Amino acid sequence: MAFFKSKPAHNASRTRPESSSKRLLREHKEVAISSWRRLWHTPIANLLTWLTLAIALALPAALLLLLNQAQHLGQQLNENSHISVFLTPYASQEQGQALANQLQARSDIKQVTYISADDALINFKDTSGLSDVLESLTDNPLPATLLLEPTDSALTTEAVAQLTEELRQLELVDQVLVDMAWLDRLQAILRTSERLTYSLALLLALGVLLVVGNTVRLQIENRKQEILVIKLVGGTDAYLRRPFLYAGFWAGLCAALLAWVIIQLGVAYLHGPLRTLAQSYQSDWQLQGLGLTGSLILLACGCGLSVFGAALTVGRQLRLIEPK
Amino acid sequence: MIRFEQVSKSYHDKNALASANFQLNRGDMAFLTGHSGAGKSTLLKLIMLMERPTSGKVIVDRQDLSQLSRSQVPAHRRKIGLVFQNHQLLMDYSVFDNVALPLKISGYNERDSGRRVRAALDKVGLLDKEKLSPQVLSTGEQQRIGIARAIVNKPKLILADEPTGNLDPDLSAEIMRLFQQFNQVGVSVLIASHDLDLIQRLPHPVIQLNQGRLSGPLAVTGH
Repeated sequence: MAFFKSKPAHNASRTRPESSSKRLLREHKEVAISSWRRLWHTPIANLLTWLTLAIALALPAALLLLLNQAQHLGQQLNENSHISVFLTPYASQEQGQALANQLQARSDIKQVTYISADDALINFKDTSGLSDVLESLTDNPLPATLLLEPTDSALTTEAVAQLTEELRQLELVDQVLVDMAWLDRLQAILRTSERLTYSLALLLALGVLLVVGNTVRLQIENRKQEILVIKLVGGTDAYLRRPFLYAGFWAGLCAALLAWVIIQLGVAYLHGPLRTLAQSYQSDWQLQGLGLTGSLILLACGCGLSVFGAALTVGRQLRLIEPK
Repeated sequence: MIRFEQVSKSYHDKNALASANFQLNRGDMAFLTGHSGAGKSTLLKLIMLMERPTSGKVIVDRQDLSQLSRSQVPAHRRKIGLVFQNHQLLMDYSVFDNVALPLKISGYNERDSGRRVRAALDKVGLLDKEKLSPQVLSTGEQQRIGIARAIVNKPKLILADEPTGNLDPDLSAEIMRLFQQFNQVGVSVLIASHDLDLIQRLPHPVIQLNQGRLSGPLAVTGH
């Protein structure tokens, strides 16, 4: 009976000099590899699960991407927006200049450009293509104009309304035109879309948790016998949980990679038409892909959600399997 | 090694075990007999902490089991080698992997675990079958793999639940000889069996279970 005599149980530690942290690392590596291999036992079923998860990840990610870039575009347009102040025909060039200097001194105005009536006419001739008709006029029908560009902090609806009101009170001012109403609308639309996207993202994240949870539940059901035997020979809960958490991790990673491909394909598909649309508004805006940060966030969300979904299920399911 | 003090276990008001007292000393080997449903399985389950007693105290290796929390159960089970009647082998594992399972759980590395698994397989005479699936082996061979798995961790205590239940007399005697060999090197062995012919030919004490009550040389009256 040399088997028992040679190495009694209390000498076990002598045969494994490994430190506990090194051992844990090795065990994790082993489980990570074996659960990766297990994925390929049922490739089609796994691929379908990953696709489901990928769509659930790609949809909110793509919407957030679009929204983020539309907000940038909105900001860009906002920055270019200005208030046109038309002076009365009686205002002289000096008075106009003086008013321009006076307004430039205000803290809520970034830039004032004075356009004299003559300059305005020349401009108009150049851009309208009506030079012949305009030549025939004896008087210049255009007023002198001040183009005001509010500071970024003064770009709120209230601030702009107040500024406009103050300008209207001025003696030399005939009319004030604000072309910002549509921007307000754009902002409101963007804010609504933002909330819709977040709600959708939340629902789909819940979907990811449920899909992963259900997949893990089925995996546990399929390996019930194995789990029972492992419990009987003294496997800890942590040991039993580990392969399923890793399975969740791999599923999340594969799904996130698929989602990444879906999004990049979508961006490539939309890029051309969107660019044409932007150009028609004199914007050089272009739809960007996810970029490095975006891609990393997508991968982290995919893996994190999936592991979390697996963790939520695995503890409860494992408790249900007890040797009888 | 094992000590039962006034242990009762009832399921739905039906007593599976009633005020059982017995003691198995370190290094002893004993049989547990009785009709099916007499409480043999219940007794083993209480030792394995697959069940908790309704009342009384179970002490294994000086440890009062009622003191162990759920999270301490796995460590307790790792100290005991368990052999089942239906061997409980995993058919999608190789023979080697089945035997290696307790070592893998304990975190042995591949080299140490390989050495121990081969030593255990050698012990039960199946060293040449390590790469096969248990499915292609005979019932007797499967049972011996179950035994190899139970001893691979070098436990101080081996429990066997009807280990010869599905075997013919020759194979049964062979299995019993294996248990006797383990016992000779100091391992405590408790075997539940209703194979009275076989048991009576062996020089080990027999505990009788009858409707949840114990009798026999190891049954302690009072303590």
